Amino acid sequence: MKTLVRPFICSEGGKPMSLKSRFSSPKIRLIAITTSALLAIAGFTVPNAAQAASVFKVATSAAVTTWDPIQSFSTEAFYMTNIYEPLLWKNPDGVSPEYAPALATSWSASKDGKTWTFKLRAGATFHDGSPVTSAAVKASFESSKKVGGAGFIWDALKTVDTPSDDTVVLNLSYAAPMDLIASSTYGAYIVNPKALDAVAKDAKYFESGKDGGSGPYTISSYKAGSSVVLTAYSKHWAASKPAYSTIDISIVSDGITAQQMMTSGQVDWATNIPLTSMTSFKRNNKYSVIKYKSPFNYVGYFNTLRAPLNNPKVRQALSMALNYREITAVGGQGYATQSRGPVPAGIYPYDAAIPQYQMARTKAKALLASAGVKDLTIKITYASENSAEARFVPLIKDAFEAIGVKAEVQGILFNQQWAAAKKDPANAQDLFIVKYWPTYSDAGVDNLWSLFHSSAKPFFNLSYWKNTTYDKLVDDAIELSGSDKAAAQKLYSQAMMILYNEAPGLYLYDEAQVSVVPKKFDIPKYNINYPFSAFFAGVKLSS
Amino acid sequence: MKFLFKDKLTSMASTLLILFIFLAIFGPLVAPYPKEGRGKANVDNSFIGPGWKHLLGTDELGRDLLSRIIFGARPALLIALAVVGFAAVIGTLLGLIAGYRGGWIDSLIMRVSELFLSFPPLLLSLVAVTFLGPGLVNALIALIISWWPWYARLIRVEASIVKSKPYVEISAAMGVPDRVIILRHILRNVTTPLIVQIAADLGTVILAAGSLAFIGLGAQPPAADWGLMVAQGRNLIFDQWWISTFSGMAIFLAVLAFNILGDALRDHFDPRISRQ
Amino acid sequence: MKILRNRLSSALLVLLGASFITFTLARVIPSDPALAYIGPKATAAEAAKLRITLGLDQPIPVQYFKYLIETFQGNWGYSLSTKQPILQEIADRLPATLELIFFAISFAVIFGVALGVYAAKYRGKFQDSLIRIFAIIGVSMPAFWLGLLLQMLFAGRLTWFPATGQFDIELKYDHPITRVTGFPLFDSIITGNYHATFNGLHHMILPALTLSAYSFGLLSRMARANLLEVLSQDYVKVARAYGLSERLIFFKLALRNALPPIVTVTGLSAAYLITGTFFVEQVYNWPGIGSFAVNSLLSIDYPAIMGITLVAAIGYLVTNFIVDLIQSKLDPRVWMK
Repeated sequence: MKTLVRPFICSEGGKPMSLKSRFSSPKIRLIAITTSALLAIAGFTVPNAAQAASVFKVATSAAVTTWDPIQSFSTEAFYMTNIYEPLLWKNPDGVSPEYAPALATSWSASKDGKTWTFKLRAGATFHDGSPVTSAAVKASFESSKKVGGAGFIWDALKTVDTPSDDTVVLNLSYAAPMDLIASSTYGAYIVNPKALDAVAKDAKYFESGKDGGSGPYTISSYKAGSSVVLTAYSKHWAASKPAYSTIDISIVSDGITAQQMMTSGQVDWATNIPLTSMTSFKRNNKYSVIKYKSPFNYVGYFNTLRAPLNNPKVRQALSMALNYREITAVGGQGYATQSRGPVPAGIYPYDAAIPQYQMARTKAKALLASAGVKDLTIKITYASENSAEARFVPLIKDAFEAIGVKAEVQGILFNQQWAAAKKDPANAQDLFIVKYWPTYSDAGVDNLWSLFHSSAKPFFNLSYWKNTTYDKLVDDAIELSGSDKAAAQKLYSQAMMILYNEAPGLYLYDEAQVSVVPKKFDIPKYNINYPFSAFFAGVKLSS
Repeated sequence: MKFLFKDKLTSMASTLLILFIFLAIFGPLVAPYPKEGRGKANVDNSFIGPGWKHLLGTDELGRDLLSRIIFGARPALLIALAVVGFAAVIGTLLGLIAGYRGGWIDSLIMRVSELFLSFPPLLLSLVAVTFLGPGLVNALIALIISWWPWYARLIRVEASIVKSKPYVEISAAMGVPDRVIILRHILRNVTTPLIVQIAADLGTVILAAGSLAFIGLGAQPPAADWGLMVAQGRNLIFDQWWISTFSGMAIFLAVLAFNILGDALRDHFDPRISRQ
Repeated sequence: MKILRNRLSSALLVLLGASFITFTLARVIPSDPALAYIGPKATAAEAAKLRITLGLDQPIPVQYFKYLIETFQGNWGYSLSTKQPILQEIADRLPATLELIFFAISFAVIFGVALGVYAAKYRGKFQDSLIRIFAIIGVSMPAFWLGLLLQMLFAGRLTWFPATGQFDIELKYDHPITRVTGFPLFDSIITGNYHATFNGLHHMILPALTLSAYSFGLLSRMARANLLEVLSQDYVKVARAYGLSERLIFFKLALRNALPPIVTVTGLSAAYLITGTFFVEQVYNWPGIGSFAVNSLLSIDYPAIMGITLVAAIGYLVTNFIVDLIQSKLDPRVWMK
């Protein structure tokens, strides 16, 4: 502090002034007051910890695209699994039994697999107190099938019968695993019929933070882009009450900010720590770094409508240009492995026999020459909010340039990237990089279908690729999945071989989920079936 | 030219500027790891801290940071020259037309430039580049859109003053076309404020372009753009602090040099007017 | 009164112009408002239908007119990314930004002017050089870089200050601020919630310092330059010849004449501060208009961008108006302009 005050001490002419006259100067006084105030503020840090004990503070990047449980198809899944419930949950890998009852206590399928009966839980209520009945289930499923963000999961559903208040019968047009589908992370929530009526009248009904759920938490406040506060629902059916009655979630778009909030004590847990920080967290004995298998992978779509990308040879050449080892290392920071096709390892119908492209640049150049390609420029788009893509996409550009193909890179927010891709396929990007995960643990129905099956309007097939052999293989496999998994797998594998040979996309890498958990807390294990969700009801202090 | 080295501060700025221009021209020859500076990755070397082999450390793709920063000098300088150049030319043209013609064209051009000037600075560029799409060229266009009004106004004021001066009439009587006269006199009068403003603007444009790139609306990866590099290092600032720190420092030093130079120019041309 | 009317009408013209420019940019430049509105899952037919509903098939002047009427009525539309009414979003976020700007400007004015005056007093000496260096550093620093540096150093390494946020999250539960005016820091003072006040100030320091750097530099340079110019004027020499004390000349004569332009420059700085908040709020995760603006720009959220532009232009106009008001008190000739 002395250095701050000294310049003012000298008078004109450089004669030192007495102490008294020093502080009589108004400027000095101002400085002194300001600095002592600053010191006081800096010292005044920690509020009363005891009173905040039942609040669990979280930082996440999960933005809320919509609060509508039927429309929901994005990162708001983080919150949704605490507010809403499906009929049943799929347990994490390795846990037995495979499913945990939620709003349904038991279920069974007919011999032909086309009729499923679910018995509903007694005493389950929505947050407004009204009981969860079969009518609610019927309304929710029908709404989801008709307009839902993930409505496609109900493709097999023909009709829903409600013989009694606590029994639901699903009649299917073909055999399908309804237990798996009804446990989906999107599109399978049971919603309060009153809320469904309200949103039918006003599409924005949910957006201010209203919910029509039955889960252990309800939304008590929502500040868009800023925070979500969940409070425990006192009449929830579960036997044990959550340890934390309030979950305060700060929405922070940068991983580094969330990380800093956790390490400085502002929040108890941050869920989107950048992978590049893992090394230093591993050295920090206040935290555990846990690696889980995840259904995430990175895929690139070629725009197969545009010459010369409509020539499989060109696509193969481009596939051979990449240095997969580097891309996986840089993107995954040690937590990723190169993909085999678009199905992530460990998820049905993954097949370890599917080949991978390796870097072979001489061969690639030869292929390009044989296809008669010179002066090709590829426009690559990626999601700017995804730091892994931001890291490895330059490597893709490098790789293409190494075989004589120029590349332009554009990083834009995912919603814009997607909108631009669907607007005008012929003039859209040439290579679309995306992080993908299946809606429920079946990457045949999801990844293989959504990503590469042809459709009139591009859904997720942003390669705009159309291959009728592939389409038939996948369609047939889906139909068989319910009854003969082995036969279905055979068809899927054939389809995946086509994907390898025709290379409508780049299959980059499968990424693990890495959680940083403060040792102070006991947080439920990551559940691969709900890859974007956290279950707060199970959070408690470590014993 | 001696005034450029009149005191320690100005000398330092001039030296920095000479260094900046030198790197912009000869950077690729001087950079310790030129391939990496250009963008080639060296993944096994990621995240090395500053040390002897890599003076400023390496980034997330293992590229030597010093080389990247050196390679960033050329685009930074080119952007600055392009924006200020185009803005000055467009502004001058419009200002000349407005001042010479007078009447409704004058009012129109002046109203439009006042309108543009009433936008908080940088906001117009941000909005324009948002709608044009991210990328270096679009950022350039967006910045030029924001910068031309000042030049238009300056030239127009001079043009309308000069137009009514007696020597214009006299020269016209002697057969010299008045356009030539006006141009000559205008240029004579505006040279000083123009030079000072250009020097200062060069710095400000580097800052603005860096800001656009930081948000994500400017140069795209893997360009060696200083603003972009600061943004890329942001997720790493607590552990791999050198990436954002040194990239940002490059922007800072370039802007600082231009600002000090602008001051020196102003003092030199008119020491009495300390502030425009 | 006439002058006031003139001011208001020119202000209105500026607002109209600003909104028209933004509107035109949004409609004319390639990107599809309809698709952004309903999201990527829509079909071409749905998009076409929506285009008609939103009136996007009308000629641009008609659309603009409709937009003006709605804006005037208070319907600023809904944000495409947050789905909340835009006027509401802006109103919710404005207090945080205004408080930040208030502290930044206060710091810049107090320290900038004080140090500028001091440097003028000791012209040529070491203090002068030091202050001038600080000032020019202030105007040359990229705000986002300074923010990152301060965050890294004072929050990351030294942990003296929090890195992000407006208040500790726990404050909401332990010492919630009762809403009186909507300005959290101010409300905490008037309701005696000093825990919250100190906590808020603690969070405010780094962002305010970052935001103030440019204005601080500007004002410091201006103050010094103006004062020096005034001090070299004849009437000062005359006053000295008459034997008036240096102190009297300096404080009563010179300062009073040098200050009016400072007020103008402060107003100009306010404009820089408006866009400065975009970067500062982003780096510090400050829940104000700046971070909302950055988000809207990146999401190409047309309605929100229009709203923000309008607010920024209004803010700029209001600031200039206040500045002129203060100027007129100091120098009545200003009104004649």
